[in-house]
Amino acid sequence: MTNSSNNNQEITTALSEKGLGKQPWWVEQWMELINSYRFKKRLERAWGYAREGNVTSIRFEGRRVHARVQGTEEDPYKVKLWLDVLNDEDWSYVLEALTQKARWSAQLLAGIMPSDIERAFAASGRRLFPFKLQEVRSECSCPDKANPCKHISAIYFLMGDRFREDPFVLFQLRGRTRSKLLADLAEERQKVLKTLAEKSLQEKNESPHSPKRKPVSPHSALLNPSLWWKYEGNLDVDLVVITPSMEGDTGIDSAKELPLAEDPRYLDARQKFTNHLREQGQVLAQQAMLQAMASDD
Amino acid sequence: MSLLHATWLPAIRTPTSSGRPALLVWADNWRVASPDGPDDTPAQHPFSLKPEDLRDWLNDKDLLPEGIIDATACLTLPSRAIKPKKCGKLSKNKSLETKTNQVSWTGLPLQAGEPIPNKFEWWPWQVQGLAIEPAAAAKWLSKLPLSGDHPDLGEELRWWSHLQRWSLSVITRGRWLPQVEFSKGEGYPHRARWVPLLNREDDRQRLEELAARLPLVATCALPWREPTGIRSNRTTRLRPEAMRAANPVASCRPRSGRLRVANLLEELVDAQLRKGFTADFNDLDPLLSSWQEALGSESGIITLTDEEVQRLATASSHWREGVTGNVAPARACLELFTPLQGEDLWELRFALQAEADPTLKVPASSAWATGAEFLQLGEIRVEHPGEILLEGLGRALTVFEPLARGLDSATPKSMKLTPAEAFVIVRTAATQLRDVGVGVELPPSLSGGLASRLGLSIQAEISKASQSFTLGESLSWNWELMIGGVTLTLRELEQLADKRSPLVNHKGAWIQLRPNDLKNAEHFCSSNPELSLDDALRLTATEGNTLMKLPVHRFIAGPKLQGVLEQYHQQKAPDPLPAPDGFVGQLRPYQEKGLGWLAFLHRFDQGACLADDMGLGKTIQLLAFLQHLKIEQELKQPVLLIAPTSVLTNWKREALSFTPDLQVYEHYGPKRPSTIEELTKVIKNIDLLLTSYGLMQRDCELLESINWQGIVIDEAQAIKNPNAKQSKATRDIARANKANKFRIALTGTPVENRVSELWALMDFLNPKVLGEEEFFHQRYRLPIERYGDISSLRDLKARVSPFILRRLKTDKAIISDLPEKVELREWVGLSKEQQNLYHKIVEETLDAIAKSPRGQRHGKVLGLLTRLKQICNHPALVLKEKSVKEDFLERSAKLQRLEEILEEVIDAGDRALLFTQFAEWGHLLQAYLQLRWHCEIPFLHGSTTKKERQAMVDRFQEDPRGPQIFLLSLKAGGVGLNLTRANHVFHIDRWWNPAVENQATDRAYRIGQENRVMVHKFVTSGSVEEKIDQMIRQKSRLAEDIIGSGEDWLGSLGVSELRELVSLEET
Repeated sequence: MTNSSNNNQEITTALSEKGLGKQPWWVEQWMELINSYRFKKRLERAWGYAREGNVTSIRFEGRRVHARVQGTEEDPYKVKLWLDVLNDEDWSYVLEALTQKARWSAQLLAGIMPSDIERAFAASGRRLFPFKLQEVRSECSCPDKANPCKHISAIYFLMGDRFREDPFVLFQLRGRTRSKLLADLAEERQKVLKTLAEKSLQEKNESPHSPKRKPVSPHSALLNPSLWWKYEGNLDVDLVVITPSMEGDTGIDSAKELPLAEDPRYLDARQKFTNHLREQGQVLAQQAMLQAMASDD
Repeated sequence: MSLLHATWLPAIRTPTSSGRPALLVWADNWRVASPDGPDDTPAQHPFSLKPEDLRDWLNDKDLLPEGIIDATACLTLPSRAIKPKKCGKLSKNKSLETKTNQVSWTGLPLQAGEPIPNKFEWWPWQVQGLAIEPAAAAKWLSKLPLSGDHPDLGEELRWWSHLQRWSLSVITRGRWLPQVEFSKGEGYPHRARWVPLLNREDDRQRLEELAARLPLVATCALPWREPTGIRSNRTTRLRPEAMRAANPVASCRPRSGRLRVANLLEELVDAQLRKGFTADFNDLDPLLSSWQEALGSESGIITLTDEEVQRLATASSHWREGVTGNVAPARACLELFTPLQGEDLWELRFALQAEADPTLKVPASSAWATGAEFLQLGEIRVEHPGEILLEGLGRALTVFEPLARGLDSATPKSMKLTPAEAFVIVRTAATQLRDVGVGVELPPSLSGGLASRLGLSIQAEISKASQSFTLGESLSWNWELMIGGVTLTLRELEQLADKRSPLVNHKGAWIQLRPNDLKNAEHFCSSNPELSLDDALRLTATEGNTLMKLPVHRFIAGPKLQGVLEQYHQQKAPDPLPAPDGFVGQLRPYQEKGLGWLAFLHRFDQGACLADDMGLGKTIQLLAFLQHLKIEQELKQPVLLIAPTSVLTNWKREALSFTPDLQVYEHYGPKRPSTIEELTKVIKNIDLLLTSYGLMQRDCELLESINWQGIVIDEAQAIKNPNAKQSKATRDIARANKANKFRIALTGTPVENRVSELWALMDFLNPKVLGEEEFFHQRYRLPIERYGDISSLRDLKARVSPFILRRLKTDKAIISDLPEKVELREWVGLSKEQQNLYHKIVEETLDAIAKSPRGQRHGKVLGLLTRLKQICNHPALVLKEKSVKEDFLERSAKLQRLEEILEEVIDAGDRALLFTQFAEWGHLLQAYLQLRWHCEIPFLHGSTTKKERQAMVDRFQEDPRGPQIFLLSLKAGGVGLNLTRANHVFHIDRWWNPAVENQATDRAYRIGQENRVMVHKFVTSGSVEEKIDQMIRQKSRLAEDIIGSGEDWLGSLGVSELRELVSLEET
């Protein structure tokens, strides 16, 4: 069962019509992968299947994706997806490459997936993203012998949405969690910095830099216990009169879209959720402002 | 007096519940306590109020919060070690064997305001109080005052109220995001939270500010676990080991407050949003609807599978990450540098900057070189500086893309920018970068501050021709345009504007021209304005003043003008003026300066308020000023002096002794002139006319019709209420006839700190300075009084400070001029009732004495004197009244004066001893003063037990919030006691023997006294008290041995001598 209108257009991960905003690049890249698949027709059937909400769970566990899809049988089918994991040697090349550009570390630390991350992986001769859908290994407990079966294909679609929640899942599938990756990066950077420092020292012919470990100075209140009670601050000038934000300047406004994958059964739920927060926020802001003024009396 | 405190009580985690955080309010109250120390668990705080007392007290003060339960916590407090008295501890604990803990420390916790001993330690104390759940706490805190000292509230409550104010601002601005928090471990549930976003520069600064000033008592608590547990559904008492484990004798370590304060803000924001939030479950999937439900629930507990919660937690954290990073001690900073000579490209350097102090910076290279070590930015320790720098740069990239070019290497230190890119930073990106938590430093000429705007550089001097300098006179002056620290001509400005480039270089400085700059400059140049002395005074008063819309960046005054400006703005002490001829006595150096200052403002026709501390001699300075005018032949018309009735006598006496040349007339009593003709006749040869506020009001029209040379008001706080008749009448008289009369106000209260009272005072002195009352109310009074708005306060002070001179007796410059013990004679009169009683008793008793046999005379004389002295104090004493009635104050002139002086003492935070020889008077006075100030006033007299005496003395000397007034009977309290905390001594009634008075004075004036002691001796003029005073002063008339023998000699006086001594003289 295919929605015919979908035939002529690219399939996107966005399940709802309203949510057709710009996707993060890594989500788009994933969808490109699907769109370039040879047996696209088969995938399109799965798209509808996914939209009907047959996928009951998707779990990223270690390096694998575990999913459950409600098929015709009573028990849901179990689907597993995984990518080839990079070995330690591969990772060491990737890490070395990543430290060459401060920007990569900078973006990863700030929670942003660098758009040219693949170039760092190229150093190891490997990739972060699979090049072809065939590289995504999969298994399904359904009786269908074909791979990808309808169930696996349905997961393909929903995966893109799930990448939005956490781009670092991709690294996880390649064998490094975010925290491990950042820790490894920090360590690798130390190595680079050390060699750099030594090099510059040799050039300058100075004794090796040894940061003095100053003892942590005790908190000033320990020397002057009257600080235990004292407060001499004045109210911040900007808190004298409390006014609401300019239009579009609240936290909800400045945050991008909530990066939570939509449940196909509840289209627009995310939108409704944030809209409701925004409305309630205005009500609460109004109340808080009145309270701030009420303390005048 | 109790003092209220508030301490955050973190959530208690037990196997069965996550517990809830709460605000613990508690109060302490000084009392005599024996030292105590921890046993298995921390000891009870000996000074804290019991919850039921606390409730009553809070109820009384209308401060009782909603949503409270009794609670106990362990607070880490600075403490002083004191060895226990040997038997005390044993009898209390039966035997030492029960002490399982090896710690044998004993002592007492310190209290707020208590002097810090040389040695102190930190110990945990069990404190009982009331726990308020967070939402109710937020509500309660919103109602606390935001500024000023409150007698019942510890200073940290103001810190809390500021934090709460911030949370209201966060909510009003909507700077929050909901989050999902994955369980922190066993016993902690998954929770939905409302989290404030602190990415904005102003919020981050606020965090640093509140963290740096955090009073540690606000966060020094550990929860206390009750000594009961639940096992198989039965309540059991915990075994001692379990108690020890649950409530260890452990102290909280004071730590950097940043994270703590951010957490506290989160608690307040979360609680308020949670409370007000109404969920809407329509069309939400199970995940979002559970999240929403938890956001609106009281506990915030979210009921989903671990896996689902993990998804929400990751997604919500990723969501938040798009707006803000974590709270850290340092941040990345981008520094923009202008191109080198002859080059085109600008430089952007990367650095690491302390959040707490933006001036603490290190270049990126140091952060890279630090490696895995930490970095020290001044006092601040920064862990993982490389990561902090990188993360900041990553965020900076999201708002300023060209930065990517600079981050191509492994350890970038700087990059080059094109002029267009530099302009983007100056114009827009700087703000955006700061908002994502990245510091930006622009070249000073472009930093967006006032200096980077087009303004003026002015040079001015009083013109040589000027003789008298008046306010309106034109100065000789010239000016240049100035921007970014460099001057330029109008032509240069036109040329720069022609370049049509947003950033231009002029004389080596890069400046940004704004659209209206050229127009404003042309307008200014073509109008060819003049500059008056008045303008100069205004422009130099505060920064950022403008002349025809252009800010004045530089004002260079010539030497003559400079002298005037400095004196006017009180940047230097006024030039002294020596005591004028005809002034009897000597002026102290600071009094000569005060005289000089009065003369200075008089020359500019400006009203002056002399607000010196009590006892520094305001009366003398004013009398010297009037004498100065007289000698200079400037005193052509009489001066009107309005004062409270209670001090009129004092004025007359002082004028008589210091300036006998001044002709003084008292407009008082029923026979005072009532028509213009009469009054004109009376004042014909008069220099100074004294009257009371009451009569001034009554005779307002009459007094307004006279062309006074000047109006002086004493105890100027009498006109503080602008709508009171008395205040209006005073200001009307000052304004009447519009002749240039001088206005001087005298007061001992710190007027400049009493915003509400300033308007009426300034309206009397110089009406234009603060404008209309309504304007003043909106512009100054409301922001300052309600919110403690410091910028408005600064502005207000700058406006009024030229007209107020206040010196304190604690000022270093004053101390050297003052003797250690200053004796002040307080002259007072008698009320009508007192006078009548006095006359009556004198007549009746003298008759009786004359008729009585010799043997009885002695007793009768003494009885008479006693009664007369009592009348001078208060009629109630001889009428044997036992209680204080409504008209108590107005019946005694002495009491009125005493109350006025005590008000100043209390306002100044000083402490006073009040001596009287009449126990009954002490009791009445105690009752009256307690009513008047709503506080406890101890009275030490003959029937006070030894134990009570010691408690009173200890409390007076040691309680940080102890009584400011201590009443003592001369006989019981005059010897032996050490009361050095007092710096005022009042002798309310007089004793014949000065040695007895001196001995009493020495309770305060003795070793250990660190301040000047003011000794106030009350003398009722014309009465027997004045005679006694004279006798004491002129020891000649009566030999010392007679005085030494007390009052006995009086008995042998003859009737005529006696009459001379006791009858009331008309003064």
